[in-house]
Amino acid sequence: MSYIPGQPVTAVVQRIEIQKLRDGDNLILGFSIGGGIDQDPGQNPFSEDKTDKGIYVTRVSKGGPADVAGLMTGDKIMQVNGWDMTMVTHDQARKRLTKKNEDVVRLLVTRKSLEDVVRQSMMPH
Amino acid sequence: EQERQEKTSLLPNSEEKSSVAAPECLLSYARREWKGNTAKSLLIRKGYEATAWVFESLRRVRGDNYCALRATLFQLLGQSRKVPAWLQDPEILKWPKQVQCVQDLVAQWRFPFGSRDGEGGAVERLERCLKLLRSRWLEAVECVHPAERERMCQQVFEGTLDEYEMLEALKFLMLHTAVQLHGAISKGLRVPEFCWLLFARDTSKCPRTFFTNHLRHVGFSGGLEQVEMFLLGYSLQQTIQVYRLYKTDSEEFVTYYPDDHKPDWPCLSLVTEDDRHYNILVPKQDKQLYSKFDESGRSKMNHPSGSQAQKQHVTRL
Repeated sequence: MSYIPGQPVTAVVQRIEIQKLRDGDNLILGFSIGGGIDQDPGQNPFSEDKTDKGIYVTRVSKGGPADVAGLMTGDKIMQVNGWDMTMVTHDQARKRLTKKNEDVVRLLVTRKSLEDVVRQSMMPH
Repeated sequence: EQERQEKTSLLPNSEEKSSVAAPECLLSYARREWKGNTAKSLLIRKGYEATAWVFESLRRVRGDNYCALRATLFQLLGQSRKVPAWLQDPEILKWPKQVQCVQDLVAQWRFPFGSRDGEGGAVERLERCLKLLRSRWLEAVECVHPAERERMCQQVFEGTLDEYEMLEALKFLMLHTAVQLHGAISKGLRVPEFCWLLFARDTSKCPRTFFTNHLRHVGFSGGLEQVEMFLLGYSLQQTIQVYRLYKTDSEEFVTYYPDDHKPDWPCLSLVTEDDRHYNILVPKQDKQLYSKFDESGRSKMNHPSGSQAQKQHVTRL
């Protein structure tokens, strides 16, 4: 019931511009990431290919900067401000997203169609 | 109108009082329960690890034949943001009197633990059960503080009469919905896919036999079949999201009951190792919108818990 055989799973490319929220010394993005070339890709519930070591959005804080910008749980981050994110470690990804001198991050993400069973479930309620 | 709250646990003294345990770390639970290296252990542990990407902890649910209903009810009272409009409609209290073609069966409704003193028949009792469900649900949703809500849930889920009466209310709602859906089929109207499966079984070709052979035994001698989980979700207008660990690595790892209202019906999350026993999943809390950074810019709130040598990091930004 949760999977209709033969339905194609297509990917959509989205450009997401997140205005970080400044709170004192902190810059908030309002989402969490998982993945990286130094991580175990088999545990990623969002990826189609279980060898995919890319960076995925695991959670989006409701009402936060990422949510407002249209980022969604399960999105795979391909680029941040032009930097490739498909072959980076988890920590490299974190650093690229949290540069203190950048108020805005422009992400290029791919997002699966609504047939994906796992990611759609993670939307904050 | 004040609802009398039955605080006393109805269970024998030797039994665990609480029907739902306190949250415990998902990964620790998995490691403890599934030691060893059989293919099954590895699969189930892998399922728990994938679940742990999104959920922090698990709450064990009393393992009797009510457990699927109980887990769903607990999530409803614990996590719901609002009571659905249909439940607030005063008309629903008339449903026990008005259910077509199964009226006689409703009048013989069986409750666990006998009746409260000075009661009318089963029909009146079911009306009270529905009223109780509604008022408890409203009360839960209106709790301002999570601690208050947790306290309320814990009070109910101690094997109280309230708990069991609400579970029977859920069963009644399933019956009511089954009657509606079967009626729609007879009129040639469009119905959700699961209805065809529900009424395709030789033992439940219509609401009467569905009730007699299946639903009336739920809680007593049987649990909910998967097709009945769809009916439950549909009856409550909630999407029951179940992580089914024995289906890890397959498309059915996460199954939605039902799967055709994911965007618009609130989501309740459960976990099962075998489609028989269900436990409750607790999401990672949004303690704050942001993470605190230390002097060198590293996040201090790095997930996950430090209790294992981490291969999977999730970082909140």
